Amino acid sequence: MPLGGAHRLAPEATFLDPAPEADAAAVEAAFERLAAFSPGLAGPTDPADPAFGRLEVQVDGLDRLWGPEAVLVGRLRAALEPILPGAPRAGIAGTRFAATVAAGMSLREDVTRRLRIVEPDGEAAFLGPLPAGLLTPDPEVRARLARFGLRRIDAVACLSRSALVARFGVEGERIHARANGEETDPFRPRRTSERLALGTAIEPPVEAIEAVRFVLRRLAGALADQLLARGAAAGRVILRLELDPAFARRGTPTLLEIEQRFPEPSAEAEAIERLLLARLEREPPPAAVVRLELELLEVAPASGHQLALFVPQAARVARLRWQLARLALTYGEDRIGTVELGDPEAPLPETRWTFRPAGWGMAPAPRLAPAPGLVPAPGSRVAR
Amino acid sequence: MTRLLREHPSIEVELDGAGRLVAIRWAGRREPVEVCNRWRVDEAWWRRPIARDYFKVVGTRWLALVYLDRVDGTWHLERVYD
Amino acid sequence: MATPSPDLSAALVSLRTRWGAAAPAVVGEVVGALATVPLPAEDPAEAPFGAPFGTPFGTPFGAPAPGMLPAADERIVRTGFGALDAIIGPGGIPRDAAVALRGDASSGKTTLALRLAAEAQAAGSIVAWLDLGRSLDPVEAVARGVRLDWLVVLVPDSLDEGLAMAGALVAGGAVDVLLVDLPVARQGDRAPAAPVGRVAGPRASAAPTRPPSFADRLHRLVALARRHDVLLVVLEPPGLGSEAADAVAGSTGLRLELVRRAWIRLGRDVVGQRTEVTVARNRFGPPGRRAELRILYADGGPRDACLLRPPLLAEPRTDAPTHPRTTRIDQRATPPPPLAPPPAPARPAADDRRPELRLVPDRPAGPRRTPLDERDRPRREPGGRGARDPAGNAPRGRTPARARGDVPRPGA
Repeated sequence: MPLGGAHRLAPEATFLDPAPEADAAAVEAAFERLAAFSPGLAGPTDPADPAFGRLEVQVDGLDRLWGPEAVLVGRLRAALEPILPGAPRAGIAGTRFAATVAAGMSLREDVTRRLRIVEPDGEAAFLGPLPAGLLTPDPEVRARLARFGLRRIDAVACLSRSALVARFGVEGERIHARANGEETDPFRPRRTSERLALGTAIEPPVEAIEAVRFVLRRLAGALADQLLARGAAAGRVILRLELDPAFARRGTPTLLEIEQRFPEPSAEAEAIERLLLARLEREPPPAAVVRLELELLEVAPASGHQLALFVPQAARVARLRWQLARLALTYGEDRIGTVELGDPEAPLPETRWTFRPAGWGMAPAPRLAPAPGLVPAPGSRVAR
Repeated sequence: MTRLLREHPSIEVELDGAGRLVAIRWAGRREPVEVCNRWRVDEAWWRRPIARDYFKVVGTRWLALVYLDRVDGTWHLERVYD
Repeated sequence: MATPSPDLSAALVSLRTRWGAAAPAVVGEVVGALATVPLPAEDPAEAPFGAPFGTPFGTPFGAPAPGMLPAADERIVRTGFGALDAIIGPGGIPRDAAVALRGDASSGKTTLALRLAAEAQAAGSIVAWLDLGRSLDPVEAVARGVRLDWLVVLVPDSLDEGLAMAGALVAGGAVDVLLVDLPVARQGDRAPAAPVGRVAGPRASAAPTRPPSFADRLHRLVALARRHDVLLVVLEPPGLGSEAADAVAGSTGLRLELVRRAWIRLGRDVVGQRTEVTVARNRFGPPGRRAELRILYADGGPRDACLLRPPLLAEPRTDAPTHPRTTRIDQRATPPPPLAPPPAPARPAADDRRPELRLVPDRPAGPRRTPLDERDRPRREPGGRGARDPAGNAPRGRTPARARGDVPRPGA
């Protein structure tokens, strides 16, 4: 609309000159604020992008840290308030499309909330009564859907995938998946997920290992859920403890950093927690802990599932490896492990085999082909 | 199955007039033995040489593998067949 | 006989690729996924190494004996010796049992323990070996069918540390079988090591308590194993102190006592033994029953083929025959031939089910081995009796007194 026409329509309005750089900077700042809540963020930062202004936050597992989804959105809203104008609309669903639609519909909610939550696995039911035109941005496909009498999304969902593909080609497969609550666009975080980190302050500072373990469990759980949602696993972890120097001995460091490699890439919160606990028991912090941060490193797509059917031990080797790693931390790496044959015909018997410390040696379980890329697992939760 | 005694404990031996192994002393016990097999190992002469004469010995209580380290002239127990 | 389905055949091929000869094979009629057939009659002529009488998996190194298949009962762990399984009670050792193997050196208890480990692994178990005696030979373990992939080895510094590690491992529930190889001549009571990693501070004080004894720790380990459904096997060495021996005896519900009855010879060499196993205590069946095990030692050389030819072996009749097929030795037999490599065995027929030996040798073969002749006699040793006769080149034609294997019984 030309500016003159806008003036005539709303003479009392204030018209601002466009400032794309400022808009982009504001969105970047918003992402930086959101990074304190979730390591899974996505959204365009180019003001020319039609979807500019849409901030996607992966909320799987964050309830352990920030509370229920409604409370979490309230915290996110409070963090964004100083940066972005107005109260953002929010929608939470299991697919990106459904979350976007929910966020759009939240405009009808009261200003203080502006939040629409779709129940897990309820995406199809939520989208059902809505106009079929929401399924695609292509005007031609919308027109054809109207000509076919497909006015609601549930009507499209009732059709077979092959029928829609026959009529609409590749776009037909996409609209069928969206109508049935299936994810069509994998969640691609802004930063390549090589690091996952979460931290939290502890008030009042704690000395007991059990108290530290309580916080550690929550952080590990939240990060593990993020890994699971992406179909990824981590190979290493860093635990950072900020210590309270107030009552500590002189010379006590204020930051304690513990790095631990996993026996194998994992996304199991309990295993990560127990391994770190074994380290803490062996190297207890010298002072009270005021802040705890957990960072997962070497994050990569999980390489598939073990074939437990034909190799009975393989289904349990992961658990055994973790247990051996913990025992090795407690008693020493040279105390527990496996043995590997070298040259069985070596002249000296003691040179025919070698001892492999814990974490090595267990026969790798046969695995399927690696999962393609970082694709959120079905059912992962996305907030918009 | 043989038990490989990793430390290869030193033992004392008794030889007869013809120089044949007839008894072994280990862990405070004397065991008359008969040599039922033997062979020699010579390895790694270019570095730390390994020169051993192995004797498979059988007694009333056990079947074992002992060897004479020809480098330093000591006798050792390597295995016990169990 | 019904042929296995393609899925079953593919599964068995996969198992064989992974487990080698320890993998089960289908024999007899296939009913469902796998058939369960009764153990056949004992046949020492078919006996492979360490597994003479109808083990479910036959030899670790080849096709299982005819009619052998793993039992469907997952609560039972077989020993690898069918005759022994038959007398224990439920056809093997129950999973939640605590077993003691007692015997003198060279009684065969370590062979029995390793065969049991191999059988457990073949059934899908993860086995841990607490090597307090520092004498585990992995090469020999492989020769007995043990998969090193699934064998956890604990090498503690002390008995206390070993029992603590074992307890933690059992409590973690990641292993199914734990073999405790007690060291020779250990004392029972020792103070335990201080716990690791306790938080220092005013709250971390405790009144001094009496350290638990070996008996206490062993009892706890047994209870822990039973609670977590772990089979515990204790190898009791000779010369164990009375207190420790009583602790082992009191903690275990199944005690097997092994006594070697005779050596098996191939010529002059001792290549095996016959061991009598007595079920001295049995919570799962009647005690007092006996079985005889035939154990052969292979060294991976060309001689091993001779071990499968019973006419070449000399096995004297034991004084307490427990098996009706004990071999008798003709006292008038000619002296054994001098030591020489046996002739190369004929290539087996295609349908011959005898296993192809691929044992790992316990000594190097081939050119590294130099047979000692008259010129290489051992030198005189300090403290030894007799002087070497440099001119003593007389050939050793005198037949040793025990060449034919009439070894007197222990204690005779």
